[in-house]
Amino acid sequence: MSTTGNILEVKRFSVHDGPGVRTTLFLKGCPLRCRWCHNPESIAQQPQQAYYSHKCINCGECVPVCPRKAHTLTNGIHHFDREKCLTCGECEMACLGNALRLHGKKITVEEALKLVLEDQDFYRIEGGVTLSGGEPLIQPKFCFELLTALKRKGINTALDTCGCVDWAAIEKVMPETDMFLFDFKHADSATHRMLTGQGNELIIANLQRLSDCGAKIEIRIPLVPGCNDSDANLQATGKLLSRLQLKRVKVLPYHAMARSKYLALGMDDTTPQVDHSDETAMLRALTILRENGVNAISGRE
Amino acid sequence: MDKQDKDYIWSKFKKTSIDSDLRTRNEQKKGNNIGFDQSTGLDNETIKENVLKLAEELKGLPHQVVKARAFEYVTENVRIDVSPHDWFVTFGCWDRNDRPLSPLMNKWSTEVDNNILKTGKLLNKQNHTGAAAMWTDFDHSVPDWDVILALGFPGLRERARRHRSKHEASGELSYEGKAYFDGIEITYTAILKMLERFRTYALEHEQSNERVTAVAKCLDTLINGAPANTYEVLQLIYLYFMFSEYIDRFQVRSLGNIDRIIYPYYVQDLKDGRYTENQIRDFFDYFLMQWASIDNYWGQPVYFGGTRKDGETEINELSYLILEEYDKLGIYTPKVQLKIAQNTPQKFLNMTCDMIRRGHSSLVFISEESVRRSLMGIGANQEEARTCDIWGCYEFTPKGNGNCTAPAYINVLKPIELIFNNGVDPSSGIDLGRHTGVLDTFKTFDDFYSAYLKQLDSIIENVISCTNDFEQYLSFISPAQMFSATVENSLKTMRDAFHNGCDYNPTMILHAGFATAIDALMAIKKFVYEKNELTLVQFKEILNDNWNGHERLRLKILHDKNKFGNGIESVDLYAEAIARFIANKINLRPNGRNGFYIASLHSARTFISLGQKTGATPDGRFAGEEISKNTSPTMGMDINGVTAMIKSVTRIDTAQFLDFPLDVMMHPATVQGENGLTAMRTLLETYFEKHGIAIHFNIFDAETLLDAQAHPDKYQGLQVRVCGWNVNFTELSRKEQDMFIRRARNISE
Repeated sequence: MSTTGNILEVKRFSVHDGPGVRTTLFLKGCPLRCRWCHNPESIAQQPQQAYYSHKCINCGECVPVCPRKAHTLTNGIHHFDREKCLTCGECEMACLGNALRLHGKKITVEEALKLVLEDQDFYRIEGGVTLSGGEPLIQPKFCFELLTALKRKGINTALDTCGCVDWAAIEKVMPETDMFLFDFKHADSATHRMLTGQGNELIIANLQRLSDCGAKIEIRIPLVPGCNDSDANLQATGKLLSRLQLKRVKVLPYHAMARSKYLALGMDDTTPQVDHSDETAMLRALTILRENGVNAISGRE
Repeated sequence: MDKQDKDYIWSKFKKTSIDSDLRTRNEQKKGNNIGFDQSTGLDNETIKENVLKLAEELKGLPHQVVKARAFEYVTENVRIDVSPHDWFVTFGCWDRNDRPLSPLMNKWSTEVDNNILKTGKLLNKQNHTGAAAMWTDFDHSVPDWDVILALGFPGLRERARRHRSKHEASGELSYEGKAYFDGIEITYTAILKMLERFRTYALEHEQSNERVTAVAKCLDTLINGAPANTYEVLQLIYLYFMFSEYIDRFQVRSLGNIDRIIYPYYVQDLKDGRYTENQIRDFFDYFLMQWASIDNYWGQPVYFGGTRKDGETEINELSYLILEEYDKLGIYTPKVQLKIAQNTPQKFLNMTCDMIRRGHSSLVFISEESVRRSLMGIGANQEEARTCDIWGCYEFTPKGNGNCTAPAYINVLKPIELIFNNGVDPSSGIDLGRHTGVLDTFKTFDDFYSAYLKQLDSIIENVISCTNDFEQYLSFISPAQMFSATVENSLKTMRDAFHNGCDYNPTMILHAGFATAIDALMAIKKFVYEKNELTLVQFKEILNDNWNGHERLRLKILHDKNKFGNGIESVDLYAEAIARFIANKINLRPNGRNGFYIASLHSARTFISLGQKTGATPDGRFAGEEISKNTSPTMGMDINGVTAMIKSVTRIDTAQFLDFPLDVMMHPATVQGENGLTAMRTLLETYFEKHGIAIHFNIFDAETLLDAQAHPDKYQGLQVRVCGWNVNFTELSRKEQDMFIRRARNISE
C-alpha cells in the first residue's frame, strides 16, 4: 500500500469510461505519442506546471510564494519562466485566476484508494473504478496493488490501456481487472508508427493474448480525420478485430479541444486541424466495421 | 391538435383585459380572438364594483355568507364562452391579477392589518430589511381529488347537507357552524347554476357542432352527478380549478395524482368502446394545453406515480400515455412531479430521464421513502405517508386531510450581516433587536458562530410571532368554501379547511441562503481566525464598501475550496448543525390555527428578493446579489461535481424537513447515450438512498447558455428550472443568466 504512482487527476462521476458511474484515475506517462492526443499533460511521467495565460488576471499572488522566482510581475503583467520551475505546486494554490495548474503528483496506493472510494456509494452494481492515462501499465506495480485492493472491496475495476506494454504487466493485472478498455489506433504498423511513434505489433499481440485468455474487452477507436478514418484502414481494422472475442467496439468521435493545453504546457501542438466531428464519417466507419462482423457502436450511444 | 384550436387555447388566457378587447365575436369564432360575447354578462369592472356594493348591503352577516353571495353574483354575471375549438369551457374573469373578489378580500385584509394585528410593525421590519419575507398565504390548497371525482359538484353539496343535518340533529350546529354550511351551500349551488349557464349557452350555439354538443352533454352529467368517463373527469378537474383559482380565490396547488385517479375511467372507456385511445390522447392534449396557456410563472403542479396498498407501483399505461402527450406538446407547465420508489419501473425512469435530457426540465423526482421519513416525523402514519399529495414545487401533505400554508421565508444569510452591525440592518438602519455585541468581543470563531445562531434564533422567533398573529384571521379574510366541502374532517368539525379544519394544519417556514451562509461562516473562520489575514473590524469596512478596492481578497475567498456542496466534511459539519438548529426551533411548534410549524429548506424565488436586501457578505458576494437557493450550493461554488454535492447535501438529516429539494446541473455529453441514462438513474437512486427528498436536473453546457444570452431569439424555447419552477432562460435577468453560466462552467463532460 506504500507503493507510489504518478497520477494526473481523479475524475469523479465519469460515465463514459466503462459501465455505470465510475471514478477514473488518470496515471501519468505514456509510451505513445499520438498526434491527436487529447491529454498531452499525461504523456510525460514527471509532473508539469501548466500556465493558461488567457486566464491570468495578473494578481501577482504567485510571485512571493515561488521558491525559484519563476513568476515575476513587471509593470503589472505576469511572466512565467518555465525553465526555473521545480513543479512544487505552491503557485497553483495561490493563483486567483485558475491560470496555474500543476499536472501530476506522486501518491501512494493507500492515498489513491481513499480518493477513488469517495464515490463508492454511487457505483452500485455496474459502476466502479477505471484506471486510465497516459498508460497506466507503465506503472504496473501501482496498478496491480490498487486493483487488488479494489477487488478486495468488491468494487468493479476497468483498465484503459493502449496495449503498448510488456505482456507481463497485462498478465499480472488481468485477474484483478473486470474489464479492459483497449485502444486501437491503426491496423498498419508503419502508419501506426508514423502517427503514434510506435509500431502496432506488440499491441496486436497483446490484444490477441488478452482475447485468448477470455478477458472482457471493449475496443476503443478514436476516429481521427485524415489519420485513421480511411476505408482501407477501417476494413483492415474490422478484419483484425473480427477474429477476437470482444464485448464491443466503441468508435469515439474526435474533438479538437486540446489546443490550449499544448500551449499552456509549452509543448508543440501536433493535433490535426479539424473544425467539427463528421457524423457521416462516423456512420461510415460503423458500417464498415459491422460489415466485418464487429459489434461496433458510436461513442455517443 | 388542430392549429385553429391551438390558437384558440393559446389566446384563451392572454394577459390582457378582456373588456378592452374590442374584437368581435366573429373573429373569435375564427379562433384568434379571446373576446367574449358581451351579451353573456357584465364586464369585470362593473362586477367588482357590484361585489363591493353587495358586501355593503350584507354587512353584519358572517364573512362566509357574504363571500359566498359575492361568489354567486360573479357566477351569475361573468361572461362565458363555449367554443367549437375547445373541449373545455371558459369564463371572463380568468386574470389572476384582476379577480372579481379581490377588492372584497383586500378590504377584509386591511381591516385585520389596521385594527387587529399586534405584530404589524415587527412584520414590516422583517420584510423591509430582508431578514425574512412574510405574507398571508392563500396559495396552497389541494382539494381531495378522489372525493371530488367520486361525488362531483352535486355530491359534494349533498354530503355537506348530510353533515349539516347531523350537527343539527345533535344540537351542535352553532352560529358559526350555520355560517360555514351556508357558505358551502350557496357556493356549490352557484357552481351548479353556472354549469347550467354554460350548458344552455352551448345548446344555443351548438350549430350542429359535434364538439359543442359533447361539451353540453358533459356539463349535463356534471350538473346531475359525478363524472363517468375520462373526458368528464378532465372537465371536472378543470372546472374545479377555474372556480377555485379565479372566483373563490384559492390557488389549487396540485391537479392531483392524475395517472392514478383517472386510470379506472380510462380502462372503462376503452373496455366499453366509449372512446378510442387516440380520442383520450386528444382530451389530454386539450387538458394539458389549458395550463400551458395560463402560463403562471410558478407552473401548475400535477403528480404521477406512487405506491399502491399492496406495495405495487401506481405507474400504469395512462402514466406513459399522458407523459407521451406532454412530451409531444413540448410544454413545460403543468410541471410534473414523479413519486418514485423501489417499485417504479425502470422503463418509466428511462422515459422520464430521457425527457429531461432532451430539455424537459419541468420534471422533478420525489422519493416516497424519504417523504415517509419526514411525514412520520411530524406524526403522520404509514398510510397517510403512502397516499400523501405532492403539491406546489415539491411539498407534501396527507391527502384530503391537510392544508399547509407557506407564509414565511427566512434569510439564513442575514444573521451574518446583523452580527457585523450588532443587530442593526446597515442599509435601512432598522434595529432588529438582537444585540450580539461589538466585533472586538468575538475572540474565537466559536464566539462568532454563537452570535450567528443568536441572530438566526431572533429572526425565527420574530417570524413565528408574526405568523402566529396573522394566521389567526385566514378564514376571516377569505373563507375557503369550495375547499372545505372536499375535506371530510372540515365538515365534521365545521371548521374552515384552509384555516383550521383539517387534521393537519401545518404552517411551513421556508429558507433561502442556506449554503451562502455556510460559505460566509467558513470564510470568516479561515481568513479571520485561522490565517489572520484581516480582523472582523476591517472586514466590516470592506463589506460596507461592497468590496471596493479589495478585489484580490474577494477572489481569494471565492476561490477558496471551503464551500458547502463540495463533499468537505469540516464544512458540511456546519451545514448539518445549522440545519438541525433550524429544524429543532421550528418543527411542531404550535401555530396560530390549530396546527404546528414545519421547517423546509425550499427557498422558492426569495433567493433573489432576499438577496437584493442583503449587503455584501464575507463569502465574496456583492451587495444585492442572489443568495443560494433550496439546499443547493451557492451558484458556481460546487467545483467537485455532482457526487460531491449530493454527499454534502445528504449529510443533513432530511427527515427534519418537509421539503428538501436539490438542483443538479449536468453537461449534455454526460447524459448522452445508454450510459447517460444509467448515470441519471444512478444519481437518482443514490440520492434517494441517502434520503434526499426531491431532485431536479438542468442539462446544459456553458456554451449553449452563452449563445442563448447573446442570441435570445434563437433560444425562445430554452427552459431552465430556476427552483420550484421553470422559466425561459432568455427571460431571466442578465445577472441571473450569468449565475447559471457560472455554474455551468464548473461542469464538464
